Amino acid sequence: MNLALHWPRTLASRLSLIFLIGLILAQALSFGAQYYERYESAKNTMLGNLETDVSTSLAILDRLPANERASWLQRLERTNYGYLLNEGSPGTPMAPSDVPIAVPSIQDAIGHEYPLTFTDIPGPKKHFQAHLKLKDGSPVTIDVRPAMVPLSPWLPAVLLGQLALLIACTWLAVRIAIRPLTRLAQAVETLDPNTHAVHLDEKGPTEVAYAARAFNAMQARIAAYLKERMQLLAAISHDLQTPITRMKLRAEFMDDSSEKDKLWNDLGEMEHLVREGVAYARSIHGATEESRRTDLDSFLDSLVFDYQDMGKDVQLGGKSAAVIDTRPHALRRVLVNLVDNALKFAGAAELWVETKADGSLSVKVMDRGPGIAEEQLAQVMQPFYRVENSRNRSTGGTGLGLAIAQQLALAIGGSLTLSNRVDGGLCAELRLPKPQ
Amino acid sequence: MEHVDHILIVDDDREIRELVGNYLKKNGLRTTVVADGRQMRAFLETTPVDLIVLDIMMPGDDGLLLCRELRAGKHKATPVLMLTARNDETDRIIGLEMGADDYLVKPFAARELLARINAVLRRTRMLPPNLVITESGRLLAFGRWRLDTSARHLLDQDGTMVALSGAEYRLLRVFLDHPQRVLNRDQLLNLTQGRDADLFDRSIDLLVSRLRQRLLDDAREPAYIKTVRSEGYVFSLPVEVLGAPS
Repeated sequence: MNLALHWPRTLASRLSLIFLIGLILAQALSFGAQYYERYESAKNTMLGNLETDVSTSLAILDRLPANERASWLQRLERTNYGYLLNEGSPGTPMAPSDVPIAVPSIQDAIGHEYPLTFTDIPGPKKHFQAHLKLKDGSPVTIDVRPAMVPLSPWLPAVLLGQLALLIACTWLAVRIAIRPLTRLAQAVETLDPNTHAVHLDEKGPTEVAYAARAFNAMQARIAAYLKERMQLLAAISHDLQTPITRMKLRAEFMDDSSEKDKLWNDLGEMEHLVREGVAYARSIHGATEESRRTDLDSFLDSLVFDYQDMGKDVQLGGKSAAVIDTRPHALRRVLVNLVDNALKFAGAAELWVETKADGSLSVKVMDRGPGIAEEQLAQVMQPFYRVENSRNRSTGGTGLGLAIAQQLALAIGGSLTLSNRVDGGLCAELRLPKPQ
Repeated sequence: MEHVDHILIVDDDREIRELVGNYLKKNGLRTTVVADGRQMRAFLETTPVDLIVLDIMMPGDDGLLLCRELRAGKHKATPVLMLTARNDETDRIIGLEMGADDYLVKPFAARELLARINAVLRRTRMLPPNLVITESGRLLAFGRWRLDTSARHLLDQDGTMVALSGAEYRLLRVFLDHPQRVLNRDQLLNLTQGRDADLFDRSIDLLVSRLRQRLLDDAREPAYIKTVRSEGYVFSLPVEVLGAPS
């Protein structure tokens, strides 16, 4: 049997197991020691009593006239032993290795006066007899049924109580030890420097306070790095805008030529890249927009109409009849990026909105374009990642559109997943949480 | 002599303001270029202009501040077109709230700027004076709706946002600027076209029916936009101008 297989998974159960086993063993050991001690002292007292009692009883029997002896037997009867005025029951001679502790005591008490023989009476319980002859030659048998002094009936209840106490203390200790760890793990899991930071309570035991401080400091550092990155991107982008503006203005003074068109296209690409860079930096960092109650159907309707008014083939199907709390500009940006992508690769986009069985909302943006190879589906959400064999480069993508969409989807509490449609094309699904 | 529109360009980048100035001049406008708010104030003291192109990001007094100052002073009727370096909705909204008539994101093409200038000039001239009232208010209330003119969406009684497409917003805006007045299709087309003239080619009737849907207006018995047979449409409810949206 492999021990590792049965080692419990959670730290809480491991700690509980160690504590419980250790405490129960220690408890059992001390109970055992006490029991042994009690047994020893009881035995000594008992055997002492036995010696005096047996010698006294025999002296009485010996001195009584033979016809009065039987009437005394009642009075000489004790809990564990009594006297018989006969040869006793048939038994086996006692093996010297298995002599009950009472035997030497009896031997010591009366052995020097009466020659003794001991026999074992077979049976389920220990039972032996000592045979002797009184001075007048009549036989006497000491019938001994050794038994321990019985345990108090309340002892098991006390033991059970102790066990319960042990379990309770273990549970409490483990809980106290584990709870800060669980809280820390939760805080790390929900760590999102974009939204307001989760500030951990820096109180409690030293180690816990230390971990909480370390976590808070780490969070502040991450936020600072992100801010720095955003500022860097924003600063570069912003500083590029002035020269690009100048160049665009100058280009407009040039005579019409293919050179001018090329320059114009290059500038357009640069401008796009700069804007997307800023947008990406903001999608990571900026949660400046306030959330507001929004009618989802009219929101999608107006978005699709704006595309249609520009002569684009964008259709909307389904209905949600939902009013959601969201940041409308962020949501719009997510959908615009997805629709733009669909238009770029397929020339048309279909939107489908529905309420799922669990109450969450699903907005799908689907196209009939080339789709994305399965193994690249996750990677395309990375910033600056472009699908290599696609027409992406020629269409001038920045590789940021989907990254921005995903960041913003997360920022509004939703999630974005890409999948290939069974009958060709890409499906981007935005899931939004169930409206409150 | 024919009136030539005089455009004042305020931008801290010398090259940009001169390039813009030259381009507009080449296209038949009169231009003056200045570098900052101080020069702008000094120039406006002596010469009235038809439109001001104002850069937001400037050292010293920035464009938003200057715009608010213009709106508060004697030049409050002069249209302002903002240039912003940030393609950010909040910037746009702040710009419009400060009283700008339109905005353009840098880097822009000069011909786009020219088109916007012409559109703003045309709009401010064509519209009767009651536009000035709605322009200063950020929230227009009518029936059970409110229109947020800076964020460009409708709010229902619960404050839930009901989005409008660009064309729907422009059409509704025209109706709200001319409440209880019959507008024919040509007027509506002219007024709604504004800056996206070439992008917009839907028929007014279709747009009106879309807008009625958005307002949850019954097409057979409309409460908001009524059809006037052989004439056009009329927005039949009074419009109230409220303060800033909450």
